[in-house]
Amino acid sequence: MYKAHHAWLFLAIPGILLLIFTVIPTVAALFLSFTNYNVFSPVGWVGLANYKQLIHDSNFWSAMKNTLTYWVLVTPALSILSIFLAVLVNRKMKGVSVYRLIYYFPVLVSVVVTAMLWKWMFQEDGIMNYLLSIFNIAPAKWLTSKSMVMPSLAIVTIWQGLGYYMLFYLAGLQSISEELYEAADLEGAGFWKKQFYITFPLLRPVIFFVVVVSTMSAFKEFTMMLTMTKGGPIGSSKTVVYMIYEKAFEQLDMGYASAISFALFLIILVLTLINQKFLDKDNQA
Amino acid sequence: MKKKIALLLSLVMIVGLFAACGSGAKFGKNGGGAKGKNAKITFWTLSLSPTFDDYLHGVIKDFESQHAGVKVNWQDVPFEQAEQRTLTAASGGNLADVINLNTDFLKKLAAKGALVDMNKAAADVKDDYFEGAWQAGKVGDTVYALPWYLTSGGLIYNPEILKKAGFDAPPKTEEEAWKMSEVIHEKTGAYGSTPNSVHLYLPSNGVPLVSKDGKKAAFNTPKALELFQFLKKEYDKGLIPDEVVLDQVNMPEWYAQEKLAWWGTGPQLFRQVKDLSPEVYNKSDAAAAIVGSVGRRSMAVMNIAVSSKSRHQKEAVEFAKFITNADNQLKFSKTTPVLPSVKKAAEDEFFTKGADSHDVAEKGRYYSAKQLGSSYDMLAPVENVTQINKVINEEYRKVLLEDKNPQKALDDAEAAVNKLLK
Repeated sequence: MYKAHHAWLFLAIPGILLLIFTVIPTVAALFLSFTNYNVFSPVGWVGLANYKQLIHDSNFWSAMKNTLTYWVLVTPALSILSIFLAVLVNRKMKGVSVYRLIYYFPVLVSVVVTAMLWKWMFQEDGIMNYLLSIFNIAPAKWLTSKSMVMPSLAIVTIWQGLGYYMLFYLAGLQSISEELYEAADLEGAGFWKKQFYITFPLLRPVIFFVVVVSTMSAFKEFTMMLTMTKGGPIGSSKTVVYMIYEKAFEQLDMGYASAISFALFLIILVLTLINQKFLDKDNQA
Repeated sequence: MKKKIALLLSLVMIVGLFAACGSGAKFGKNGGGAKGKNAKITFWTLSLSPTFDDYLHGVIKDFESQHAGVKVNWQDVPFEQAEQRTLTAASGGNLADVINLNTDFLKKLAAKGALVDMNKAAADVKDDYFEGAWQAGKVGDTVYALPWYLTSGGLIYNPEILKKAGFDAPPKTEEEAWKMSEVIHEKTGAYGSTPNSVHLYLPSNGVPLVSKDGKKAAFNTPKALELFQFLKKEYDKGLIPDEVVLDQVNMPEWYAQEKLAWWGTGPQLFRQVKDLSPEVYNKSDAAAAIVGSVGRRSMAVMNIAVSSKSRHQKEAVEFAKFITNADNQLKFSKTTPVLPSVKKAAEDEFFTKGADSHDVAEKGRYYSAKQLGSSYDMLAPVENVTQINKVINEEYRKVLLEDKNPQKALDDAEAAVNKLLK
C-alpha cells in the first residue's frame, strides 16, 4: 500500500524548508566568516583574518567568560532541580495536575514579559529587597553590581525553565515500571536510595537530552540580557550571542559576526560531545 | 497513475514555495516596469501605520494630484524591524525610493553611499528648515536627508516635590539643577538631574565629540575632565542612582512613581506619565528644557532620505520636499504632539499659544517650539556615531561605578574613538 516514494514526498517538504532556512544560511554564514562582508560593499575574501582577530579580541573572551558563567549557573540547576520537581508531581495524589500546571505556567510567559517583571522585582526598592529587609538583610544590587548580575539573571532563567524540563522528566518517569519501586520497597529502600538506584539511572537518556538542550539555550541566551541589563553593568552580562547581535546588526560587521557564530557553534559541539560521552552511554557504539 | 499524481503534487508544492519566496524578495522594488512619465515610487515610513493612515494617504493623494503620472506606494515598517529590513533591501539593491530614517541609522546608511546628497538635490529649500534640524542628516560636509518631524527637549516637573524641598520654580540651567538636586534628594529622597549618558551632555556643555573634519576624537579636553570629575562627585553624593547610570530605568515610570522631581524629555512623551499615573500628571507642570553651559538644547530628528539607486530620483526628491513642506508638517503636528522642522510651520498660532495652558503637554509643546531656533541635533556627523556614543558612555560609567580615573577614562575613550574614525 505505502511505497518508498510516499515517504520521500512527506520528507520533501520539511527537507526543502530545512534546506532553505537552515542549511543554505549556515553554509552562507561559514563562507561569510572568511570575508569582510558589511551589507553594502562587495564581499571581499579575507581568509582567516576574522578568526585571527577573534583570538586576540578581549571583548570576545570577556563575553565567552560571561556565557560560561551563565551556563554553569543555569544548566546544572535546571537539569537537577527539575528532576525533583518531576518526582514530586509524579505522585498519585489529588490535584497533582494543578501543581503540574502551576510549575509549567512560567514557560507560557514570553521571555520579554518575564524579563520586565523580574526587572521590577530586582529594582533597588523592589520586592526582592523588601523580602531581604524583612530578615534584616541589607538591600542587594541585583542587576547593578558586576558580581550579582549573572546569578540574578540565572534565577530568572531557572524560574522560567524548571517547568519546561520537568515535563520531559515526567514523561521519562512515567515510563519507569512501578514494579521496580515495589521491589525496592520490599528490600527496604528509602526515598533517596530509590532515586539513586532506580530513577536516576533509568532517566539517563532524558538527563542527557535536558543537559544538551539547556546547554544550547544557555549559550544562545540574549533576549533577557538585552531587556534587563543591556549587557551591563559595564559589559558584565554581555554574552557571546549579544556580541554577535551587536557586531552584525549594529556595526554591520557581518563577516566578523559570522566568525564568532562559528566559534560558538564549535564550542557547543564540543560540549555536546563531552555530554554524550558521560551521559549517553546507552547509545554509544 | 498514483506515482504521477504524487510527483505532480510535490512539484506544485515546490513551485508554490519558491513563488512565495519570490514575491517576498520583490518587496520594496521601485515600481518595476515604470516607463516614461509614469513613475512609481516607494515610500517607507517608521511605525506610523495605522495611527496616521488618514494623514499619510491624504498627503500622498495631494502629491499625486499635483504630479501627474507619479504614483506613490506607501509601506510602513515597524520601528524594531526597520534596520534589518532596510539593510536587507539595500543589500539586494531594493531600497525604497524615499525612506524615513532615524538620525543614527541615517548616518550609517549615508556613509555607505546609499543616499542622495540633499545639499545639491534640495538646495532650493535648504533655508526653509531650522539650522539645527538640517544638520541632522550630515555626514562629513554632506547632508543626506531632509529633516521631517522632530522633538526638542522639554521639562515636566512635580511642583509638590519642589515645594517640599523649598523651591517654587524648576531649574533653568545645569548648574542650578545640580544645586537643587542635592537639596531635593536630602529633603524628599527624590532625584533631580539624572544623566544616564554623556554623549549629549558633553556637546551641550561645550565639548564636541569629534573634530570638525570628523577624523578624530575631540572630547579629551580639560573641560570634559572637569565635567567627568563633577559628575563623579554628584554620583558619590548619591544623586545619580546606579540603575539610571546603567540605563536600566524606564524614566516615565520613575517620574510617575514620584521618584523624580523632574524629567527632561520631549513633550510628546509627557502623556506616558498620564497613562501611568493621571494623578501625578495632573499635578505636574511644564517648563523650558534645562540648558547647558553653551546655551544650546538638543533635538531628535526624524529624516526623509532618497535612495541613490532610485530609478525616479527626481520624483523621489520632489516627494521628500513635499512631505516635509510647511503645510504638510503643520497638518502632521496637529495630529500628534511633534514639532515641525520647517520655520514657517513653527510660526503658526498653533505653536505660539499654550503658555498658560492647564494641560502640561500643551504647555510643553509651547516651550519646545519656542526654543527650536536654539536647538540642535547634537549627534556627531560621522558614520559610527552609535558606537562612538557607546564607547564614551561606557567610560563615563566606569568613572562613576568603578572609580576609574577620569583622565584615564577620557584617554581610553579617545583612543577607541580614534580607532573607530579611521
